[in-house]
Amino acid sequence: MNIIGPDYLVFGVDDVAASIEYLTAFGLKPVDVTDKGGLFEALDGTGIIIRHKSDPTLPPPLPTSNMLRQQVYGVRANEDLDAIEAELSKDRRVTRLADGSVETKDDHGFELKFQVSKRRELNMPAEKINAPGAPAQRKPNEIGVWEEMPAAPRSLSHVVLFVPDIEIATNFYCGRLGFVITDVLKGAGPFLRPKANDDHHTLFFIRTPEYMKGCEHLAFHMGGPTELMVAGTRFVKKGYQSFWGPGRHKFGSNWFWYFNSPLGCHFEYDADMDKHDDEWIAREAPMGAEASQIVLFEMREKWAPGGPPPGAKP
Amino acid sequence: MTSAQPLCHADEIAEGEARGFGPLEGYRRKIVVLRHNGTLHAWLDACPHYPGGTPMAWKTDAYLNGEKTHIACHSHGALFDMETGECVLGPCLGQQLTRIALTMSDEGEIFVTAAQEEKRA
Repeated sequence: MNIIGPDYLVFGVDDVAASIEYLTAFGLKPVDVTDKGGLFEALDGTGIIIRHKSDPTLPPPLPTSNMLRQQVYGVRANEDLDAIEAELSKDRRVTRLADGSVETKDDHGFELKFQVSKRRELNMPAEKINAPGAPAQRKPNEIGVWEEMPAAPRSLSHVVLFVPDIEIATNFYCGRLGFVITDVLKGAGPFLRPKANDDHHTLFFIRTPEYMKGCEHLAFHMGGPTELMVAGTRFVKKGYQSFWGPGRHKFGSNWFWYFNSPLGCHFEYDADMDKHDDEWIAREAPMGAEASQIVLFEMREKWAPGGPPPGAKP
Repeated sequence: MTSAQPLCHADEIAEGEARGFGPLEGYRRKIVVLRHNGTLHAWLDACPHYPGGTPMAWKTDAYLNGEKTHIACHSHGALFDMETGECVLGPCLGQQLTRIALTMSDEGEIFVTAAQEEKRA
């Protein structure tokens, strides 16, 4: 089962106009968006789909107040859809749609859809750095930052779910769909990557009471830590609310910056995540501030030292 | 020491609207002032879901849910009663926002009194 990762996350929101404003300001591109919602995509075509929560075309809501309606996973080929259908129809209802995609539910009742991935291949450089002892990544006269530099989300990276039972969730995604555990935060849950993706994680679980079941956050990959901080700084300057970051996680090594949203979950910019293969042996660490990050910063307004103190003689 | 810190004129907050002020001296978070059924209420901008409280808006002054019936924490979607501050839905169910006392001058200016650090939610 060559699952690549989330193509789309679908939300049923209570304020469509606010969500449209938010997703656009976050840096996603409205594709077929009307006042009823639509798709907002990153540079590779992955993204977020929103509709009003009363829209009958949405999958049914979770029994909690969470606004997540469906996770749409991209797979490599039609054979992968056949394999998923064969495996999951052993013990649950699986629907084959006219376009070949497959819809079902996981063991916690989260709505799932699998499709041949609609993501477009990106061909653009990562952030380039120069350091003594290593070949220069930027050529002479190639500058690293400028005021109007692009800082757009490149790809939907991962989704984090609040689930009441880690074992049930892990057994389903690993045992039935071929995900692999890369690391475990004890007291929270495991990081998972699907077979056809070498990112440290596309999925992470946090154990919570049943009444919190839903999406805790989702993240988009940026081109590097500088793009992450530039995008986050621009977002804060427009009045959006930082929740955590910027900083750099330990597990996954990805830079992070989380924001509140009108979609009832956090939105994260992430950058420079570790890659893994099947040789990797999962680590464990107790959940907590130390395990969660190697560094953490808080944004402040631009400032510069300069010249003599006020009132000093020239 | 206590001193009154001005927020705005009461008329600047219309029915069903919320605004954030600060952070003001003596308060670790902003103060959210809203008008519901004609009455002004003020709450510390600190969702009790996590120790210490986290800011609730998704954007400047965006403190209410889509239907404008509740204060919403836009971290995880918790909803709070606008008059009592009680969480009625979400991760901190049954917990409460911290109420901030308002005073009003004869001219209609509203103030908060900067007391010692306010009590934990």
